[in-house]
Amino acid sequence: MYGGDEVSAIVIDLGSHTCKAGYAGEDAPKAVFPSVVGSIDQMDADGDNENNDSKTSNNNVDSNKPKGKRRLYVGSQSLGFRRDHMELTAACLVQVLSPLKDGVVVDWEIVDSIWDHAFKECLLVDPTEHPMLLAEPSSNTQQQRERTAELMFEKYKVPALFLAKNAVLTSFASGRATSVVVDSGGGSTTVAPVHDGYVLQKAVSTSPVGGEFLTDCLMKSLESKGIVIKPRYSFKRKEIQPGVFQTVDIDFPNTTESYKLYSKRVIASDIKECVCRAPDTPYDESAYSNIPMTPYELPDGQTIEIGADRFKIPDVLFNPSLALTIPGMDSFAEISPSVRGLPQMVIDSINRCDVDIRKELFGSILLAGGTASMQQLKERLEKDLLEESPQAARVKVLASGNATERRFRGQYIGISWFIPANVVFQVRFVHLTGMKSMELLTYKENALKMRPMGCISCHCMRSVSAP
Amino acid sequence: MANAASGMAVQDECKLKFLELKAKRNFRFITFKIQAQQVVVDKLGSPEETYDDFQATLPANECRYAVFDFDFTTDENCQKSKIFFIAWAPDTSKVREKMVYASSKDRFKRELDGIQVELQATDPSEMSFDIIKARAL
Repeated sequence: MYGGDEVSAIVIDLGSHTCKAGYAGEDAPKAVFPSVVGSIDQMDADGDNENNDSKTSNNNVDSNKPKGKRRLYVGSQSLGFRRDHMELTAACLVQVLSPLKDGVVVDWEIVDSIWDHAFKECLLVDPTEHPMLLAEPSSNTQQQRERTAELMFEKYKVPALFLAKNAVLTSFASGRATSVVVDSGGGSTTVAPVHDGYVLQKAVSTSPVGGEFLTDCLMKSLESKGIVIKPRYSFKRKEIQPGVFQTVDIDFPNTTESYKLYSKRVIASDIKECVCRAPDTPYDESAYSNIPMTPYELPDGQTIEIGADRFKIPDVLFNPSLALTIPGMDSFAEISPSVRGLPQMVIDSINRCDVDIRKELFGSILLAGGTASMQQLKERLEKDLLEESPQAARVKVLASGNATERRFRGQYIGISWFIPANVVFQVRFVHLTGMKSMELLTYKENALKMRPMGCISCHCMRSVSAP
Repeated sequence: MANAASGMAVQDECKLKFLELKAKRNFRFITFKIQAQQVVVDKLGSPEETYDDFQATLPANECRYAVFDFDFTTDENCQKSKIFFIAWAPDTSKVREKMVYASSKDRFKRELDGIQVELQATDPSEMSFDIIKARAL
């Protein structure tokens, strides 16, 4: 029916927490794996103990070393296996305390390894044969885009490339050209107004409070109550009699802190996804002190009971200063004054837009991202916004039906349907002659030979010139 | 992204019918759909039809563009009319359809000269008669 079907483009959405990859025109990604990569330094693999180093200092060490000296492990499977001295590094700096770097790539070698994994291990495709579509964060800089294009063309030799903004894709996927996209993902939360298919850059606001931050809060809170989350690798569990299990601790002295943290986070985030839901009203210590406890069975067999935390943790999204009351989250104190809750972020963003479109923006607030699939979050956000928005505005928060769909819908489904939806998308790709500035001219003929269409995002280069 | 339109063509008939609606007031409303990679006229409403008739013509699980000529009386008892552009994208429609309609909207809207109010709706409550009235004033 539509010519776009024959394009067979590959779609990649590299989020701060998980990477989603698949074929254009499908509703769900073919591969979903963590955006975290394990690396073993080949130099110090024999000998010295790295355990005392924190994740941050190791990041610095890594970046100082010449390339090729470390071995990288990508994908859920290879991360599930514990290795001595394996440090974990995220492609997008997920460290909660550096909001400026959130969602934006800092380590290109890692991104490269993630793409490589997606092509060779997950999708089993030859990147030179497929046009490539990438979702990029709204706050992506020009340098980031150039680097992406460079890597895609020079290393993977893709015939065509398109970068589309997350927020625009989310908006289009729900049939709206104008909306406010609230994207609450793993590493950060971004509120981006979109008008007629453009992201209003000046009104975009971000906060480091995302899924990972909530997971950390939950973990610290449980720890303060004396609950020990044992990573799966650190014990053996077997059935000694029918129905009776024995757990034996195993000690691996060479496991790095970052791997330990990662394994614990995997468990904590599962607890979070299973039991947490956003409270209907702002969290209040006394009102929630005697709510019923919910049981959760940890991998090592112990059952923990979670009470007020079920509501307190999600409420951090609405009131970030609540995180300061959790023991062990002291490091958040430095930046907490600058972090605002979700409703304030939305209202601030809308108020930074033109007066004429504010009303329309209030009427179409879209939820996207993994954290946004939290139970009751939509209802709570709508309620809070109603209280704080101007009276004339009709507030409407939209989220797609089920949680799994919502998780991917935002970006993935959006980007996945982008190409099939845009039948003559060749028109949309800026011709390669626009790339002179990037010294990629040599690839012009190469790319054109393979496919008649040009390449690269129109946002990247302004100069559009016909051949 | 909007500067790179999705490449949907607009059939001349769309513009002609719209001009008729605007200048001669031959129609109350026009709905448009995307078919075979171009925007074509779907249904036409005669001047006698009401807003309810118009709402009934919008399919429950397919996207449409629509133009509605809204007659009303202002507070000063003055007869007026405004032309509404409505982008109808119900939740239950296909994702592909929503993508096509949302990304081609800007281009199509620019073809129709004389639209006074624009709104997007994903369910009937977003384009109820009250909202239309509130937007017209």
